[in-house]
Amino acid sequence: MAQRTLDRMLNAIEGDGRLDRPGHRLEHGLAFAENLLGVTQGRARGLLHGVWLGHPLHPTLTDIPIGSWTTALVLDLTGQKRAARTAVGVGIAGALAAMATGLHDWQYTHDNARRIGMVHGALNTLALGLYGWSWLQRGRGHDLRGRLAALLGYPLIMVSGFLGGTLVFRHQIGVDQTVRRLDPRHFTRVLAERDLTDGSPRRVRAGDVEVVLVRADGRVHALENACPHLRGPLSDGWLRDGALTCPWHGSQFELSSGESLNGPATAPAPCFQTRIRDGWIEVRRAPVAATAPPGSALVHQQEVQP
Amino acid sequence: MRRRSSALTEVREAPARQERKTATRVLVEHHEVLRGLLRKLTETPRSEPGRRQALADELFDELWMHERIEEDIFYPAVRDITPAIAAAWSEHRQLTDQLAAFVRADPSRERFDRELGVLHDVLVSHAHLDEELEMFPEVERFADADLLVDVGDRLQTRLEQLRSSQRIRAFLRLQRALLRRTAR
Repeated sequence: MAQRTLDRMLNAIEGDGRLDRPGHRLEHGLAFAENLLGVTQGRARGLLHGVWLGHPLHPTLTDIPIGSWTTALVLDLTGQKRAARTAVGVGIAGALAAMATGLHDWQYTHDNARRIGMVHGALNTLALGLYGWSWLQRGRGHDLRGRLAALLGYPLIMVSGFLGGTLVFRHQIGVDQTVRRLDPRHFTRVLAERDLTDGSPRRVRAGDVEVVLVRADGRVHALENACPHLRGPLSDGWLRDGALTCPWHGSQFELSSGESLNGPATAPAPCFQTRIRDGWIEVRRAPVAATAPPGSALVHQQEVQP
Repeated sequence: MRRRSSALTEVREAPARQERKTATRVLVEHHEVLRGLLRKLTETPRSEPGRRQALADELFDELWMHERIEEDIFYPAVRDITPAIAAAWSEHRQLTDQLAAFVRADPSRERFDRELGVLHDVLVSHAHLDEELEMFPEVERFADADLLVDVGDRLQTRLEQLRSSQRIRAFLRLQRALLRRTAR
């Protein structure tokens, strides 16, 4: 029964096209602010997405407000006023950090996930307002008002936490969307060498795997033709400072290793080994070494000379 | 006040009622305007930074208006016809970002040429590879012909409104100035 109710709520949010216009307005504002601050092309971009962490940074930060505000609730019950105010304050700081990273991730989502993200963010902003007010009131000695605001804010963050989970478990936002496959295991002809022009990505097929080929610095690189973020077609992308850029959300991948350089993709794009035989470009998946740590066999591959 | 050079975007006389264009045709023609500006920019040497800057300004405004008419009119109208709309929105964001990087570059430096090259690639990716080769044929095939002509009219009207609006021009000038002022 509860499951149906929750499902209906999610469907109602996802189907509500009225959320799109304010969402896009917000994104335009965000885009301008990020470009002014130099975030888009700078180091802060990957930092906020959590590229350095290997998975999104936002979900790790949300634990701070949820944990602190739960603590504040308990401290309110046991009557420790000063400690409760500190807990509320720590939660506010964490919530601000979560807000920055969350907005940064949200702007690179589509359709249904985008709408869920809007409601998730709006509820959190409301809760943040209530806890901010609570913190101020506690400071002025109006303890009862402070407790009341916290009591109102707590259910909001519970609901929005649930929506945050929906984004990951239903829409796979922030999840590595690479399909882990082993083929082609043997070198497979994909394209005549002369058909690959320098610096422009080209889509080819190796068996039933889509591969993007890029010739740069005198070498032929091959990556899987789907961005690990939302499976954007990398072959429609472009090269920026020698890195292959996803046409949808601008994730940049190092050609030789597939490592993500700036996000929103936090996982590497799988690469293939390449070689040139009789004027043909051939690719294969590197043999997986069972003893190597996960991922390492997919990354750091080299062009094999005949 | 300095007069903007507007070689390619001069507001032509209002379209006669008989030659109504479909939405996709209006957009492809505007893509041509954008491509023309890019070509002009590529042909202008580094020794003429003033002209380069003027062309960059014009490209900034035109591309901004292109995004607005597509986002406000075209995409909502064909949202249920093609599933590619969400990706197209995202591609606009990439254009916006690259455009910002581009206007922040000094027209007399090598960086400007590099950003221009990337901007060209981003525009090709969105306008040609995605829209002209995939989305537009799909829309033309499945959309109602009357709807397309109707949306085409609205796109043209809106584009002319944007081009002739003093408020929009001032807003865009402000955007460019802020972006350039904060460039490093």
